[in-house]
Amino acid sequence: MRSVSNTTRIALYLYGLLILLVLYLPLVSVGFASVSKARYLSFPVNRYTSEWMVQAVTSPNVHALVLTSLKIAVLVTLLSMLLGFFGALAFARFQWKYRPLFQKLILLPIFFPQTVLGLALLIWFSALGVQPSWKTAVIAHLVWIAPITTLIIAIRAYGFDPALEEAARDMGASTLTILREVTLPLLMPGVISAGLFAFLLSWGNFPLSLFTSGLDSTLPKWLYARMVSGYTPQIPALGVLSVAGSAALMLIGIGLVRWMRRRA
Amino acid sequence: MQRLESRLGFLSGLPILILLLLAFIMPLFVVAGFAIMPQKVFELTHLPDFSSFAVIWEQGYYRSLLRSLGLAFLTTVILFIVCWPLAYGMAKVFGRFTIVITLAVVLILFVSENIRLFGWSLSLMKGGLIEGYLRSWTGLSFETPLYDWPVIVFGMAYVYFPFMLFPLAQGISLVPDDARLAASDLGASPARILFEIEMPLAAPGIMVGSLLTFVLSAGAVAEAKLLGGRSVVVLTDDVESAFTFAQNWPLGSALSLMLIGIVALLVLVPVSRVNLDAIMGRKR
Amino acid sequence: MVAQPFVRIENVTKRFGRFTALDRISLDIAEGEFLTIVGPSGSGKSTLIRLLVGIDDVTEGTIRLNGTRIDTMPANKRPTCMVFQSLALFPHMSVGRNIEFPQKLKKIAPAARKARALELLRLLRLPEDYYGKMIGQLSGGERQRVALARALAFDPQIIVFDEPLSALDYRLRKTLEKELKDLHARTGKTFVYITHSLEEAMVMSDRIAIMKRGRFEQIDVAEAIYSRPVSRFVASFMGEVNLFEAAEEQGKARWGDAGIRALSGGLALPAGWRGALMVRPELLRFVAEGQGADFTVQGRVVAEYALGSRIQYAIDTLAGTRITVERPFEQRLAAGSDAPVTLGWDRDAVHPIAEEPRHATA
Repeated sequence: MRSVSNTTRIALYLYGLLILLVLYLPLVSVGFASVSKARYLSFPVNRYTSEWMVQAVTSPNVHALVLTSLKIAVLVTLLSMLLGFFGALAFARFQWKYRPLFQKLILLPIFFPQTVLGLALLIWFSALGVQPSWKTAVIAHLVWIAPITTLIIAIRAYGFDPALEEAARDMGASTLTILREVTLPLLMPGVISAGLFAFLLSWGNFPLSLFTSGLDSTLPKWLYARMVSGYTPQIPALGVLSVAGSAALMLIGIGLVRWMRRRA
Repeated sequence: MQRLESRLGFLSGLPILILLLLAFIMPLFVVAGFAIMPQKVFELTHLPDFSSFAVIWEQGYYRSLLRSLGLAFLTTVILFIVCWPLAYGMAKVFGRFTIVITLAVVLILFVSENIRLFGWSLSLMKGGLIEGYLRSWTGLSFETPLYDWPVIVFGMAYVYFPFMLFPLAQGISLVPDDARLAASDLGASPARILFEIEMPLAAPGIMVGSLLTFVLSAGAVAEAKLLGGRSVVVLTDDVESAFTFAQNWPLGSALSLMLIGIVALLVLVPVSRVNLDAIMGRKR
Repeated sequence: MVAQPFVRIENVTKRFGRFTALDRISLDIAEGEFLTIVGPSGSGKSTLIRLLVGIDDVTEGTIRLNGTRIDTMPANKRPTCMVFQSLALFPHMSVGRNIEFPQKLKKIAPAARKARALELLRLLRLPEDYYGKMIGQLSGGERQRVALARALAFDPQIIVFDEPLSALDYRLRKTLEKELKDLHARTGKTFVYITHSLEEAMVMSDRIAIMKRGRFEQIDVAEAIYSRPVSRFVASFMGEVNLFEAAEEQGKARWGDAGIRALSGGLALPAGWRGALMVRPELLRFVAEGQGADFTVQGRVVAEYALGSRIQYAIDTLAGTRITVERPFEQRLAAGSDAPVTLGWDRDAVHPIAEEPRHATA
C-alpha cells in the first residue's frame, strides 16, 4: 500500500471511476431512449414520455415474453442449484478416481462459444426429432449455467473443513444425515448465490435462446430480433424493464444472503 | 471409506455428467458428423465426402475465421492493457473501493449483452448520446464510429471486460508486496518491476484472463451485428447463416468444427496442466 | 487365563498407492489408559488413528476392541470418537446443538439431551449460558472444551485426539494439557492422543509410543523414554542431548572423542558393541581437571544461553566435539566466553544406544 505514490493512487481511483462510467454509459442511453417522446430517437432528448413504458407493461405480447423468460429462468435456477450442489460435491469434496477429468469437463461448456453451442443443440434436437420450444431452451441454458453454479458452490465447498463431515460420521451419522445436517447447511450460502447467478444469467441470455427456444420467444431473444431489424421505442422501454427486474431480484438476493449470514 | 467416497463422488457427479453427455458431448459429435457430410443434407446417413472443407477453402470462408481470430486477439491485447492498471488497483491499492468496483462489474454482467450493445449503438450513433450532446453544447460534431471493425473490437472489449479484469486482479493479488518492494529497493525501475517481477508472478491470472477473453471473443457474434451492422462478417456470422438462411448444415458444422478445434487447442492444453484444487484453495 | 487387551492392533499395514504409511504395526492399549503417539509429521501417527476411528481403511492386519474386530466396521458404527486437529465443530450450529449432535443421532429425547449437554458444560468449566452461543463467538480454548464436551456426549469407549492443541498459544496449551489429564482421570475413558511434541506427551500420558516412518520406535512409560531411549531418533526427539560416538574395546567403552578420560575404570560394554553414548545436558557438571567424576573432558565455552531458571552452555572439546551443558542458573560460570573448562559426568548418567535399533512390539 505504501509502495505507490499519492499521485498514482489518485490516478488509479480516477481511472476506476472512468471505467465504471464507461461500463454504465450504454444503460444511460437506453434509459434516456426509453422515455424520449420522439419516435425516431435523437439526442439531446427534449420531450419525455412514459408512453413506451406503459405500452410495454400493458402489451399482452410482452406478458407472453416475460412469462416464457420467467418459466425458463425459474426452472433453470432450480435445476442448476440441484445439479450444481451435487456437481460441486463431486468437483471439490469427494475423492474419486475421475475427479480431475470431471473438473475439466465441467469447465468446457463455460469456455464454449454460446452461438455455436446453440446451433449444435439445434441440429441435435432436430436429429432426435424434438421440436424446439421453451423446454429445449431450458436444457440449453443448463448446459452453460449448471457448470457455473457447480463452480460457485465448489468454491464454497473448498472452503470448508472435510473434518466436519468426518467428525459427523465418526459420531455415528449416516451418509444421508451428514448431507442433511452438515454439508447442505454449510453450502447453503453458496447454493443461494449460485441460484441468483443462475436466474440472472438465464433471464439475460439470448445466444442460446435464439436457436433453441423455437417459436417460444424470450425477452432477450425478442429484443435481439427487433434490434437487428431496426429501432422502435419499445426496445429501450423493454430493456429498461428487464434490467429493473434483474436489479430488483438482485437486491432481494443480496438481502437474503446477508440475512442468512446474520443468522449463522 | 475410500470405496464409499469414490462411489459417492461418482454418484454426485452423475446428474451433471448425464446432462453434459446428452446436451454437450453428443451435439458436438453430431456437429462433427455433419461436418463431413455432403452439402445441404439433413441426415447423417450419407457417405462422408468432406466437401464442406473444400467449400470453406474455395469460397474464402477461412477469411472470416482469420478475421474472427484477429479481432479476438486484438480484443485480448487491448483488454489486457486496459485492465492491468485497474486490476492492480483492485488487488493492491483500493480498499473498500475494490468491493464497489467488483459489485458494479458483476451487476453489469447480469444485463443482457444485447441490451448493453444496443445502448452503445444509441450512444455512438450520429445524433446519439455522445455526439448529440457534444453538438448541442459545443457545436462540434464527428462521424459515427459505428459499422466498422474497430467498433466491433470495442464492443467485444466492453462485453468481455469482466472476464479479463477478475482473473487479472486475482493474479496480481498473488504477487507478494515484499517482492515488489525488494526489487525496488535493489534499484529496479518500475518498468523492470512490471516485466520481471509482477507479470511473471501474476502469470496464472494473465493466462486465465487472456484465454477467457480470446475464446469468448472468437465465438462472439452480437457485437458484429449490433455495432458492426453486418459491415464485417465474423466466423460465427457465417456459421449462423449456414445453419439458418442457407440451410447448409454440413457447411455450418464444418465451420463450427474449425472454431471448436482452435478453442479446444487453446483451452485444453493449459487447462489439462493446471491443478484446479490448488487454484480454488482446497484445504486438504 | 491371560486378560484380553482392550484394544489390540495387530500387524496393521496401510498403503496409499505405492507409499507405505504404516508398516506392520502392532499395539495393545489397556482400558482407561492415556496413550500418546508421538512422531514427526509423516511418521504415520495420523494415519494410525484415522484407521482406529475408521475414517480410512486398513490395507492389512486387524484391529480388535474387547476381542471383536472393528477394522471392518464403518466409522459411524465404531464406539470411537475423534477430536480433530481443526476440532471440526459445526459452525452453523450453536454450542448446545454441537454437543447434542451425537445424542440426537442416537435419538435421545431433547430434554435428556439438553440436561446432558449442560452437565458436560459444567464438567468442562464452561458457563451454562454458552449453550446458546455460536461457535464463531468462542475463543480457541473454549472451542477446545466444546469439542471435548461433544466427544464425551457421544460416550465412546475410546476418545482419539489428533493434535487438538497444536494451534493454541503456549500458555493456553500448558493449561489445557493439565486439564486434559485431569479430565482423563475423572472420566476414566481410554484416551489415545497424538502429537509431535514429546514434551506434551510427557505431561499427560501413561505410556508414550514413538513413531518413525510408519513403525514404532519405542513404546514405554515417559520416564523410560526420557532416560533410556532405544535409538538416536528417540533420544534426539527429546530435545538437546549429547550423543558421543563410541565402540567396545576390551570390554570397555572407547569414546570417539580422544579427550574424554575415564577416571574410575570406564564403562563396561558387551563385546562388539557400537553406537552412541547419551548423556543428558543436565547430568553434566563443571569439575576440576582429572577428579570429581567418572569421566572428564577439557574444552572451552563457545556460547551461553539464559533459559530463565536454568542456563545452557555450548562447549567445544579440544578434539572439536560440541557438548551442551545445562545447569541451574545459580551455578552460572563466572568466566565468560572462550574460558577453558573441564566437564565431568558419572557412569550412571551414561545411557548406551546400540546401532540398529530394534523395533518395539509392545
